Amino acid sequence: MSHKRRLLLAKTGLDCHDTGIVTVAQKLRDAGYEVIYLGLHNHPDEVVKAAIEEGVDGIGVSYLSGQHMPQMRKLLEAMRKASVNLPIVCGGVIPQEDATALKSMGVAAVIAPGTMTAEILSMVDQALASHAAR
Amino acid sequence: MASQPSAVQTATRDAETQLFETNAGIPVQELYSEADIQGLEPGRDLGQPGAFPFTRGPYAGMYRTRIWTRRFQVGFGSPQETNQRIRYLHANGANGFVITIDLPTSYGFDSDDAIADGEVGVTGVAISTLDDMAALYDGFGPDQVSYALSIRPPISSVTLAMLACVAEDKGVPLEKVIGTQQNDPFYQMSGGPLQTITKFFPLEGTLRLCLDNIEFISTRMPRLNWMVTNGYNLRETGVNAIEDGIFTLGHAFDIYRMAVARGLDINTFPRKASFFLSASIDFFEEIAKFRAMRRLYARVMRDQFGATNPECWRLRFSVQTAGNTLTTQQPEVNIVRAAYEAMAAAFGGAQSVHLCSYDEGHGLPTEESSRIALRTQQVLAYETGVTRTIDPLAGSYYVEALTNRMEAEIRKGIDDVGARGGMARAIKDGWLESQINTARYRNQDKIDNNERTLVGVNRFTIPREQEIPVKVHKLRADEWGAARTEYLRNYRASRDEPRWSDAVTRLEQAWRSGQNMVPVIMDALRNRATMGEINEAMRRAQGRAEALR
Repeated sequence: MSHKRRLLLAKTGLDCHDTGIVTVAQKLRDAGYEVIYLGLHNHPDEVVKAAIEEGVDGIGVSYLSGQHMPQMRKLLEAMRKASVNLPIVCGGVIPQEDATALKSMGVAAVIAPGTMTAEILSMVDQALASHAAR
Repeated sequence: MASQPSAVQTATRDAETQLFETNAGIPVQELYSEADIQGLEPGRDLGQPGAFPFTRGPYAGMYRTRIWTRRFQVGFGSPQETNQRIRYLHANGANGFVITIDLPTSYGFDSDDAIADGEVGVTGVAISTLDDMAALYDGFGPDQVSYALSIRPPISSVTLAMLACVAEDKGVPLEKVIGTQQNDPFYQMSGGPLQTITKFFPLEGTLRLCLDNIEFISTRMPRLNWMVTNGYNLRETGVNAIEDGIFTLGHAFDIYRMAVARGLDINTFPRKASFFLSASIDFFEEIAKFRAMRRLYARVMRDQFGATNPECWRLRFSVQTAGNTLTTQQPEVNIVRAAYEAMAAAFGGAQSVHLCSYDEGHGLPTEESSRIALRTQQVLAYETGVTRTIDPLAGSYYVEALTNRMEAEIRKGIDDVGARGGMARAIKDGWLESQINTARYRNQDKIDNNERTLVGVNRFTIPREQEIPVKVHKLRADEWGAARTEYLRNYRASRDEPRWSDAVTRLEQAWRSGQNMVPVIMDALRNRATMGEINEAMRRAQGRAEALR
């Protein structure tokens, strides 16, 4: 790929567990991605706005306090409204049943806790590649 | 803080490479002997349980007199549902409860605030009104059951005022109220502390309310414990045991200095101070950490703060086992991890213990997983015999040497933080955040490169299809949110508008005049102001009137 791939990472809603996403942001940078991390407590609209302004290739979010379904619905709706079509990767504590539901809603990948960095990188690579191929 | 890698010896046996250092990087010898505890004077450095320097435990008698409290964590949906659950558990013998609070309440938003959408009742109970707190205490007096509400300033000033009002309404004198008031301005939330504590309320205001709470509790509610540092959430960010001790105690001493500067008495206000600590997986290091922190605290309180009341030298703590050591893969193995961690807490002399549920990597705990967690510590308390004698590991060459080393490392670190201007300063200028982030990357690297074994994750793995399915806690956020919105609409509609409005004005005036806010908040609550409105009024008084949504 010619340009350095850019990713937007953010937490939305009130969940403040950020160890995973902060660590993954750094690992992605180490692997050659350009990562913009928006921090905690973003509104989904703000995430979409930043994604447009920064011209990113994908979005990463994480949830560890049980609000992944309502928050992801809001984020996907905000993307639809703004006609933003980007692959989304979601990490965190996501029950299996909900992971399946998220994927059927269009989330490219759901990453469980305890996933090794190498596997996370290949999941992100694959999410971007298969989205580009669509 | 950590030792140099060159000091670490590795040896190969049975084709396995072992790392002979603790998780915090302290090198561990093949054998410990008398030479390693030279200079240890039992009378001076260990003492008797319940006496200076409290290395052997905060109380004489320890578990022979009273086994640690087996805490039960509860809190979901509405206060009424949570109260029903507490009544059931109380009838079955539990009398200490950690009450988890939902995120909107934790950040100062009523259940019907737009920001609360999808979050009401999810991570804990929603509390927006005085009646909500009364509902939590339905059937009990606050002198009968002990609640520890997981909440921090500014909101803990509101819940403290609610508790005082409930006591008054039930005819319970304030001096008889029991429980634990969490009061850590910095570490209550999970994650890096800076952004999450400054996003919705000015930091200076949070610190002022922390001191208002200490003043109110120590003068009006002498039986109520108040938690100084939530070292648990801090440790969960990924820092090691030494950093845990440094940041936890360094923060507490900082708060104490502020309280002294306000004119509070060092021989009074720390009497019911308590700590909330993590028991992680490195067994002996955790035991040494608990013993070292207790000794260091006693020495600093007596020798540096000049406290002469022995009650103010005594570090008391509750423990939760480390959620960040649990795995999503092969989750049933987590039961074993939590059991070892709880045993370290018992050897460390904890006053109260709560075990993480094995399914934490899959969702919020279920009734079944909570029960297994409670049963695990009942086995520890009633079957293993660890309670039979006090501080059974005292005198072990290794444990005493490690305790000495931990105390020295923590003391050195606290001095370093002091040279930076103290913990509050270190948080404000981003230093703590950078320490935490360094620890996070370090931990992930150790797992990625197999330096640290995580059973089921980087070793001894099984294919996903062999995993045993885990039952998941059902969330009813939409239902809870709708019901609470309706409830709050009626609550606001049924109040005397001028009296409510006057009470809110008094809040803002009191804020500007610098008086203790707790009695003023009680007045506002009695005039049916909601928690969110009170929080907003205090924010407004600090010139932060903008909607923070």
